[in-house]
Amino acid sequence: MALKSAIRNLRNNPNLLYVRLPNLVSFICIVVGVVWLLLLPLNEYSRQTYISENALLPGQVHAYFTGSEQNIFRGYKKELEGLLNDGQARGGQKDEAEVTAALSDKLQSILQAAGLKVATQKYEYTSAGITHQGENTYAIIHAPRGDATEAIVLVAPWKTADDELNLNGVTLALTLARYFKRWSLWSKDIIFLIPPDSKTGTQAWIDAYHDMHPASVQPLPLKSGALQGALVIEYPFEHRFQTLHIVYDGVNGQLPNLDLFNTAVAIAGGQMGIGANLQEMWGHDDSYEHRLQTMFRGMTKQGLGYATGAHSSFMPYHIDAITLQTKGEGWEDEMALGRTIESLCRSLNNLLEHLHQSFFFYLLMQSNRFVSIGTYLPSAMLIAGNFTIMAIALWIRTGYYPESKPSAKPKNEKAPTEEKGTNTIVERNTIAERYLALPLSLVVGLHLLGLVPLWVFNNVFHQYFTTTTYIFVVVDIILPLLLAAILSNGLGVSKPIIPQQYHLIKSFSLLLLGLSLSTLATLNFSLSFMIGLLCAPLSFIPRLRGSVPFRLATSSLGLVLLNLVSPPAVLLGVCWYMGVSVETVLTQAAFGWDVWGMWTQVVVWCVWWPAWLIGCVLLGSSIF
Amino acid sequence: MTVLSLFSLPFVALILSLWSSSAFASSDYHEHLLLQPLPQSSLLASFNFRSNTSQQSFDQQHFRYLPRALGQILQHAHTKELHLRFTTGRWDAESWGTRPWNGSKEGGTGVELWAWIDAPDDEEAFAKWITLTQSLSGLFCASLNFVDSTRTTRPVVSFEPAGDHSAADQLHLLHGTLPGEVVCTENLTPFLKLLPCKGKAGISSLFDGHKLFDAAWQSMSVDIQPVCSADGECVVQIEQTVDMVLDIDRSKRSRSNPIPRPVPNEQLVCDTSKPYNSDDTCYPVEKTSEKAWSLAEIFGRSLNGVCPLTDFDGSSDQSVCLRVPHERGVFISEEANEIKKDDGFTRCFKLAPSVPFDLSIPQQPANTEVPLDEPVLHAERTIVGHGQERGGMRIIFGNPSNTSAVDFIYFESLPWFLRPYIHTLHATITGHDGVLREVPASEIVKETYYRPAIDRERGTQLELALSVPAASTVTLTYDFEKAILRYTEYPPDANRGFNVAPAVIRILDTAHNVPIYIRSTSLLLQLPTPDFSMPYNVIILTSTVIALAFGTIFNILVRRVVSLDEAAALGAQTLKGRILGKLVAIRDRLRGKDTKMD
Repeated sequence: MALKSAIRNLRNNPNLLYVRLPNLVSFICIVVGVVWLLLLPLNEYSRQTYISENALLPGQVHAYFTGSEQNIFRGYKKELEGLLNDGQARGGQKDEAEVTAALSDKLQSILQAAGLKVATQKYEYTSAGITHQGENTYAIIHAPRGDATEAIVLVAPWKTADDELNLNGVTLALTLARYFKRWSLWSKDIIFLIPPDSKTGTQAWIDAYHDMHPASVQPLPLKSGALQGALVIEYPFEHRFQTLHIVYDGVNGQLPNLDLFNTAVAIAGGQMGIGANLQEMWGHDDSYEHRLQTMFRGMTKQGLGYATGAHSSFMPYHIDAITLQTKGEGWEDEMALGRTIESLCRSLNNLLEHLHQSFFFYLLMQSNRFVSIGTYLPSAMLIAGNFTIMAIALWIRTGYYPESKPSAKPKNEKAPTEEKGTNTIVERNTIAERYLALPLSLVVGLHLLGLVPLWVFNNVFHQYFTTTTYIFVVVDIILPLLLAAILSNGLGVSKPIIPQQYHLIKSFSLLLLGLSLSTLATLNFSLSFMIGLLCAPLSFIPRLRGSVPFRLATSSLGLVLLNLVSPPAVLLGVCWYMGVSVETVLTQAAFGWDVWGMWTQVVVWCVWWPAWLIGCVLLGSSIF
Repeated sequence: MTVLSLFSLPFVALILSLWSSSAFASSDYHEHLLLQPLPQSSLLASFNFRSNTSQQSFDQQHFRYLPRALGQILQHAHTKELHLRFTTGRWDAESWGTRPWNGSKEGGTGVELWAWIDAPDDEEAFAKWITLTQSLSGLFCASLNFVDSTRTTRPVVSFEPAGDHSAADQLHLLHGTLPGEVVCTENLTPFLKLLPCKGKAGISSLFDGHKLFDAAWQSMSVDIQPVCSADGECVVQIEQTVDMVLDIDRSKRSRSNPIPRPVPNEQLVCDTSKPYNSDDTCYPVEKTSEKAWSLAEIFGRSLNGVCPLTDFDGSSDQSVCLRVPHERGVFISEEANEIKKDDGFTRCFKLAPSVPFDLSIPQQPANTEVPLDEPVLHAERTIVGHGQERGGMRIIFGNPSNTSAVDFIYFESLPWFLRPYIHTLHATITGHDGVLREVPASEIVKETYYRPAIDRERGTQLELALSVPAASTVTLTYDFEKAILRYTEYPPDANRGFNVAPAVIRILDTAHNVPIYIRSTSLLLQLPTPDFSMPYNVIILTSTVIALAFGTIFNILVRRVVSLDEAAALGAQTLKGRILGKLVAIRDRLRGKDTKMD
């Protein structure tokens, strides 16, 4: 009976049902979402990795890349070193272009002598006023009895993702090309791609391979079949290495099939006895803290959505790719890396179908532990859901006159939500008509306004990025107050706004935010989670009532706090914390937009920023 | 082997004497092998077997060299001319030059079959075609029975009958391909059985499945056509060829140790002129001299004399020829004779019957090379774009000649689930200067024959008459849409994608009056494929949810909750209730009696 009366009480008290309860539920959603994420590294919630595609058979073949192949490796290396040093020795006399041309010729002659089909591709990209240009050299081993229907790509960029000279990597690719040519077991063509750097080269090549390249990129004169996988080799130092660092994040947070990563780990660890690391976690002791840290690092990269290496460009074309980086000082030499790659290529060569078995959505927390999408998705979904709950509650609440007493309408607890603004059944003055025109146009207008910073930050020259950011911080302070003033007083332009419309503005804004974030969560979980957390205060921003000094003080404090989590302020804060310049980050972002097809900015400026702006306007309107 | 030959000789002599006295003098048999080293340590071995049977004896089912199994199939299916091809690998025109037989004896990857069938109308022709493919499927152990209406086309201008046909025949050309068919030893065995010497003697004794199917490129063909001389005497000619490009290094590896391990350090061939050259550093020199090889090393066995059924007249007794410069030393078995030809590159060998023949070439510095003809046209076809819904086809034709244009027919048969948008057919010309000119497709495409696909019934057939100007490259592109298949239409194998048959290019070379054929590589088409275990899971899950939800809701909707006395009142009013009430009353009365009796 106690329960029954409690429910009846709730029915009769819309204030509790539509004002207090949603706040509580939203808050619980956020807390549970965060706690959920923190639980993931525990053994009970994460899983041991396993190879799902049986055809891969990792490490089941003997790798023969040893012995005299090392002599050839050294020979090739000396040859390339000679050309590089030649350029350095003459100092300014011989310019960069000449050295590059000589190196390209040498690569071509080596690959041609080994019996491969060689071609080159020139490209040029312009982003934020910086021109990136270069020339890709690539060569194809035709599968001995194949028909150019499928291919594997081996990439050895001249510059690694950290902009170091990858001489050993390139030499290893050349030696492997000569060695692979002798084998008759290849069922797929093998393409050796040597781009000048890790950022632009592979992107130009893979775009042209699918005929999706811009006019500034040359088409490919030589092609093979459907690409089944790609491996990037990075060995940027002279000494022997200790472990392999496997980089797997793609553009826009896309990930390669987990089977590819697992195969690399299984071959490196199981067959070759080389440890495998991920996310720059060198001393991973499999503790909760380290697992969580690994996961967060992965989520940061995924959320920011930038290319973490030469492999990232392959992901948008549904080609699974990873980078193998050598790290540390240890016993393993280039031949061990060569054997690892040989074994990986043999595994990929076994594939009958495109990698499809295992997971494409996962969070890794150790080289052999992961959580799959089914386990982690509720976390971001709960956070996105909190906005939707709040939006629906506000919508229902706007159906009532706020001043009507709860006791006056015991029977109308189920407000007909279907009845939009044009309702005709007004019963006993308890159901309000919703004035939708202003809230709708304001919310849509502010979302469209997001296109302005999106355009500005992708098209301004790189030297103006810092200034633009500071200008935007100022704009973000002034714009909400201005909008709030216009809304509250009408300024002679329109009728003054009624309180119900504030709720509707907030409702629509949160509805859009929740919708966008929950959709985004299935595509890029981490980005959705991060934006969701940063937007979490927006759910709880009320329009304050009370005495003028109280409103002024509280809303000013709230605005200051909100301004601290505005997009440009967060950018500045993170840059300051990480110790990188704003210009670098924004140049990279603009480059990502122009070259890689990165969508992070769209989410920031067209989802996060409008929602934040509307939150500020609501809070600001308390002042007036 | 000699024992066998000794046995067979008198037998063969007997048969020969018998047949020479008979009326069918036009029956004969020839075989020929041409060996030609190609760049990159490859060796082209081109085998040719040809025999004639007079039309008269063919009609009377008097088979001698023509295999009976094949002859009867042809007669049953009213097939007047038949061409069957088994091909794997790709011909590397860039390094190997023109194709053997100008490409007329090879097919696209997999199996290709085309035939001229005598039938009064199209339907009957197709019925006979199905009979033909079914029978050939059994004969050659190939999946030719999968050549159904969706894989059959009727090319209009791409193929011309090679034989001489009588005007009375109503011939229908049908063409079918199986691009995904893997050609292997099971196809070689029936192929060998068709030969008069069945791989026991003559050049066919070199066929070893292990070596043949290790070739980088390999093509087997069977052609049957009527050939008439000027005086009206007709013969049925069967020609079988096997062409293969072997990798000399790979073929020479022993079967017990086929792994190409790294060579010992001392066997590395290094460039000693490099300053850093030392014991542990080696810049390899790839080609210093022509490789040494011998027949026995390459083919794993030696040539077993000559096939005794071969007609020895004129030059046809020189059944093995080799194309290397005359200054190269060649060692041959003692009983054979070497005849050098005037062109400076070809030498042929006259083999002694029933004596094994071997031929070996020592390693020698390469001074002169056998000139290779430049192909008249380069063609490359690739699928562009990505995603599961749409794609595009890109075909590049390069004309290496600086003086003459190339006219050719481009023939493509596409599966029905690849739906081309012909309105997007678009051509660009690039000169050797690299300048791109965009021209309307009509300027390059002279004629078009297009037969659109019907879903699940027939594929698209596209024939274009094209012309590529001198020293330029033409790029043809068109977009296509990928159909979504019904789930039963996916093959039960691993989903690698769907093979699209290679395009056939027929070059119209009026000067030489021989057709030149080029085939593009086959393509792999990725169709939207369901994860077949997922629908299963989804069906189970939804069924459970529906059962639970529907059951409960239906229950709530239909069930009426009433008090006991209400239920009695409700029940008493209906007919059924009244009858039941009566029954209960009777039962109670009976019970009452029972209790009384107790």
